[in-house]
Amino acid sequence: MSTHHHHAKDFLFTYIFSTDHKMISKQFLVTGFLMGFIGLIMSTLFRLQLGWPGESFEMIELLMGSWQEDGVMAPDKYLSLVTMHGTIMVFFLLTAGLSGTFSNLLIPLQIGARDMASGFLNMLSYWFFFISSVVMLCSLFVEGGAASAGWTIYPPLSALPQAIPGSGAGMTLWLVSMSIFIVSSLLGSLNYIVTILNMRTKGMSMTRLPLTIWAFLLTAILGVLSFPVLLSAALLLVFDRSFGTSFYLSDIYIGGQVLEHSGGSPILFEHLFWFLGHPEVYIVLLPALGITSEIISTMTRKPIFGYRAMIGSMMAIGFLSFIVWGHHMFLTGMNPFLGSVFTFTTLLIAIPSAVKVFNYLTTLWKGNIVFTPATMFSVGLVSTFISGGVTGLILGNSALDINVHDTYFVVGHFHIVMGLSAIFGMFAGVYHWFPKLFGRMMNNKLGNIHFWITICCAYGVFFPMHFLGFAGVPRRYYTNSEFPMFDNMIDINVFISVCAILAMIGQLVFFFNFVYSAFRGPKAPMNPWKGNTLEWTSPVEHFHGNWYGEIPAVYRWPYDYSKVNANGEYVYGEDFIPQTTPLGDDEKDGGEH
Amino acid sequence: MMTIIVVVAVILVVIAGSQLLKIAELRALSKGELIYEVSEKEGKQSGLLMLGFFAAFMAFFAWQMWSWYGLKLPVSASAHGVDTDWLTGATYAVITPVFILTNGLLFFFCFKYSYSSTRKATFFSHSNKLEMIWTIAPSLVLTVLILMGLSNWNKIMTPIADEDDRVLIELTGQQFTWTARYAGADKKLGRSHVTLIEGVNATGVDATDDNAKDDKLVKGEFHLPVGMPVQFVFRSLDAIHSAYMPHFRSQMNCVPGITTQFNFVPTKTTEEMRKITNNDEFNYVLLCNKICGAAHYNMQMDIVVESQEDYDKWLAEQKTFVE
Amino acid sequence: MTTVTLENTNYKDEIRRKTSKPLMWVGIMSIVMFFGGLTSAVVVSQGGGSFLTIAMPQAFVISTFVIVLSSLAFHFGLISVKKGNHTMAKLSVGITLALGLAFVATQYMGWVTLHDNGVYAIGSESTQQSSFLYLLTALHILHLIGGLVSLIVVLVKTMKERYTSEDSVGMQVSLTYWHFLGGLWVYLFFFLRYSIA
Ligand code: HEM
Ligand SMILES: [Cu+2]
Ligand SMILES: [Cu+2]
Repeated sequence: MSTHHHHAKDFLFTYIFSTDHKMISKQFLVTGFLMGFIGLIMSTLFRLQLGWPGESFEMIELLMGSWQEDGVMAPDKYLSLVTMHGTIMVFFLLTAGLSGTFSNLLIPLQIGARDMASGFLNMLSYWFFFISSVVMLCSLFVEGGAASAGWTIYPPLSALPQAIPGSGAGMTLWLVSMSIFIVSSLLGSLNYIVTILNMRTKGMSMTRLPLTIWAFLLTAILGVLSFPVLLSAALLLVFDRSFGTSFYLSDIYIGGQVLEHSGGSPILFEHLFWFLGHPEVYIVLLPALGITSEIISTMTRKPIFGYRAMIGSMMAIGFLSFIVWGHHMFLTGMNPFLGSVFTFTTLLIAIPSAVKVFNYLTTLWKGNIVFTPATMFSVGLVSTFISGGVTGLILGNSALDINVHDTYFVVGHFHIVMGLSAIFGMFAGVYHWFPKLFGRMMNNKLGNIHFWITICCAYGVFFPMHFLGFAGVPRRYYTNSEFPMFDNMIDINVFISVCAILAMIGQLVFFFNFVYSAFRGPKAPMNPWKGNTLEWTSPVEHFHGNWYGEIPAVYRWPYDYSKVNANGEYVYGEDFIPQTTPLGDDEKDGGEH
Repeated sequence: MMTIIVVVAVILVVIAGSQLLKIAELRALSKGELIYEVSEKEGKQSGLLMLGFFAAFMAFFAWQMWSWYGLKLPVSASAHGVDTDWLTGATYAVITPVFILTNGLLFFFCFKYSYSSTRKATFFSHSNKLEMIWTIAPSLVLTVLILMGLSNWNKIMTPIADEDDRVLIELTGQQFTWTARYAGADKKLGRSHVTLIEGVNATGVDATDDNAKDDKLVKGEFHLPVGMPVQFVFRSLDAIHSAYMPHFRSQMNCVPGITTQFNFVPTKTTEEMRKITNNDEFNYVLLCNKICGAAHYNMQMDIVVESQEDYDKWLAEQKTFVE
Repeated sequence: MTTVTLENTNYKDEIRRKTSKPLMWVGIMSIVMFFGGLTSAVVVSQGGGSFLTIAMPQAFVISTFVIVLSSLAFHFGLISVKKGNHTMAKLSVGITLALGLAFVATQYMGWVTLHDNGVYAIGSESTQQSSFLYLLTALHILHLIGGLVSLIVVLVKTMKERYTSEDSVGMQVSLTYWHFLGGLWVYLFFFLRYSIA
């Protein structure tokens, strides 16, 4: 009897209310992927409408219920889907799912700590995330439907249920969910920052940290500085919605009535929102870049090129991301001079981004590249980061933005540079650190298939969107058939939708591989990729504490791959030198010869 | 029934897949290999695929240009639009080669340097010179682009000061229609406020204001004289809208509570544009480009650009506000 | 080899000592950004034009003195603990708590005065300025409640003489937060005084 009780308690604290960072990491991963899958299905659903507008899809009525009467999606439900898709992808999959998983898994393991600074806060962080996910999903089922004002929830649309049904209960739940989400994100970031700054093992100076850790650190700092501002924006919106204040609302005539609000300005909301919104883009991107840096270096068997430049450019990107938010608001009637300033700062970000790309290329140059699925997704990231990044020069230039702002050109741009890059980074991370997460290996062949389907379909979906943008097709349109000038676009739209459906099917390969390998994959060795970093010195099986005995000390930077001596032989007979290997007499640290 | 069949089929596929994977793993083991280790041959294949992908990617790019580039907006119908189009083209002239070259190098390196047990990777960890080059080169290019963009931007955003030599139009967005208000003979728009909205006074023009008496409210379509600077003032009554006139390369948000402005000089009449586009049905349009509600996708107004005489005639036919 | 796990209390204790203050500091950073966002919202919205001025209630001035005094008292408490003077520590923390509660009371009095003067937080008679005034002060109180809870914990532990001259991290963290709340109020007071009231 009492042992039984004991077991139940064990189960509860090992799998549910665990404070072990590795378990929390897995919880984030699984929850994030589930949310991501829902977001993916949503995108397929609204792509059906865009590809074949007005056509009846009775098959999915089952799934959609009253949102899809007679097989045709209602216009406001289309907007609900777009809004929820954007919210889920950006926040739930690529903020919590990505950072939550890899910051949790890698920070203690790579810096040499037994756990996070506060396991308890860490656990809370996950459970807040879980609750906010549940609330967000519940909002799909309330009267009026889910929030439908776009993921940017600009008032007055988001403030007035008269303006769109989704701004009723659905929007309320959106705000509740996001507030909880912000708390979760703050608790997480708090922990990541403090852990990295205070709990590094002996010898692990800041300049010996793997780039992953640098990326997570900067991401967490961005989060701590920007999410509270979103919270304040959301709070003011709650007051406007529910208590008749006028922070954002003024002079409104809707549904035959003049509202009493006066003196507020929606522009205020836009400022507050984008003060978070732009750093958020890098909160999504930086972890992916960090992961890729680590993987590319390990798998090319070469040191990452320009370690310090990589750190410097991430810092520059992080800093600049706080002073560019205005590029989302060029057309809000802002002072033209201010617009010029934002153009200037925005285009500045291109410089550190370019440095990163060239450094990746140089790392691959004369490498000895081992093509695991993780390597391929990392290469994919570099490609999408380039392809999506270059169009930023058009959007960031205020004069040119006038004509493409809020068109499909933007949708193409941000999906490639942020959506795809971050997703690719996340996949790369999962394939690479799966042995650490689950103690088993994923299947490479399926991984390769997954990669090729994903990159082909992803470019197939998002590249053509630029051409829609050239033709002036606005985003967030339920259909383009109301304008004769868009009649020729139907081919592009069908092409995109077909690719989107294929992309979704391609992800099933991944999910199969993931689930199968987690339970039945071949057992992982301790250091399958011959990596230098500390996580590969910790035992495969999980236990709370990470290392039996002492935590290993660190003597060198993490990128001593293929280091040769004067005779052209590997210094220690192998093409990698773990960070735990003391420096030889004639060796210099940090990639110096 | 169908559902059941599908579910059963999926389950079977999953089971079969799992068994196959297990078998593959065991087979590799029996040969003394580990299934998750990438053999040199597989690596070479992947490298080749990378190169193949790049070729396919470029072919895809070319195919899209070939089939879809022609769908882009026709030549700009406004004076400043010619400049923005030129600058857009110039930016493309910079980013397209960068896009092709860097992607090319990326996939080429993947092919060239795929794993070989006989080669050693080169330990090359940094080079101040190289890093300097690729910090400075983009900086220079960007400086040029920024400077050109800003001069263009400042020109576009400066309101037309000369009150006599311009057409003044207020565009008001509202779920899900547009109303245009012409300033009338006095070339001044009267005051307006939402509390005054009533019946035909769709935007709440203040009848007690002398400037308002000759204002003209227009719905459905509005006209512009060719070659004349047009000063727009934008308002919104409910959600944020965005007045997007793609053919004129012009867009500005309409924000409740404040007014915004934009101006341009239309340079081609509707008739001329019909000839250029080879389309007798061509019409300039104003569309809404900021999510504003369920029918956001259908919030439009036609724009007619015509000669000064035709325009004057049309305007004379419109009723003034007090009428 | 013996297995070192986290259940090894020494390790946990060491981590707690090393990280609780940094955790507090980073947390404070995020609160700073939260209020930074809100106060810059006040500034941005007043760029728009006309705004009425609101008379700052006398009670808020008193609040300011009260909270500064409470900070001093708490600080004195910590010094006493470090010197091993438990009686003095108990007294100081007790006074701090009393002053904290007094602060809440004076804030409440301030709101009552505002309300009596026809300054409303919500509803059709509120203005943007009045809403901001109430909101900012209320949010400060909300954060202060967290501080009061931690004060109570600290008081209990001080009574039990848990803090020693070697280990007083818990108290220090609470003190840091309390100082921050005081500083935040002083900032808000002057900000509101010169931007709204
Ligand atoms: C195959 C996968 C995906 C497809 C087919 C897809 C498709 C789309 C499309 C067509 C839109 C625009 C809808 C409209 O404006 O009417 C959209 C919006 C959006 N997507 Fe995706 N997307 C995918 C994945 C992602 C990912 C990975 C992200 C993560 C960054 C993402 C983030 C967003 C956001 C933020 C929006 C804007 C939502 C809004 O307008 O409020 N999407 N997606
Ligand atoms: Cu941005
Ligand atoms: Cu609209």
